[in-house]
Amino acid sequence: MACVDLLKHEFFVDMTCEGCSNAVTRVLHRLGGVQFDIDLPNKKVCIDSEHNVDTLLETLKKTGKNASYLGEKSAQ
Amino acid sequence: MEAKSIVVGVEGMTCNSCVQTIEQHVGKMNGIHNIKVSLEDKNAVIIYDSKLQTPATLQEAIYDMGFEATLADANP
Repeated sequence: MACVDLLKHEFFVDMTCEGCSNAVTRVLHRLGGVQFDIDLPNKKVCIDSEHNVDTLLETLKKTGKNASYLGEKSAQ
Repeated sequence: MEAKSIVVGVEGMTCNSCVQTIEQHVGKMNGIHNIKVSLEDKNAVIIYDSKLQTPATLQEAIYDMGFEATLADANP
């Protein structure tokens, strides 16, 4: 899966398995107002959201995993 | 010292990395003496200070990380 939408925030999240990515999925769903793709092999999460980067990063860090902001990613 | 022990059922862990994440994250919280997460039994045994934490706050901490947490029997 790649980031194909218009403009997305790309995050690195240290996920190692399905359980990790499921956990990320759940916390993002609970936050609400987000559309996202999880790229497990590359440990990346691409988020399209009304929330700002800080809120998203805080949410990702809630899972207890290493997370960092990689930058904006626009469509090709 | 008001040490108590509790068993929290945890759903959604699939590998040891999930286990370690929970152990590290919850282990860093105030008033946690010891936490042992079992992948096979799908639960977490937590020994905590009842002045600083309650079963509800522990459940919430695991829930916040993106796992389903249920309170099993507490044995004080």
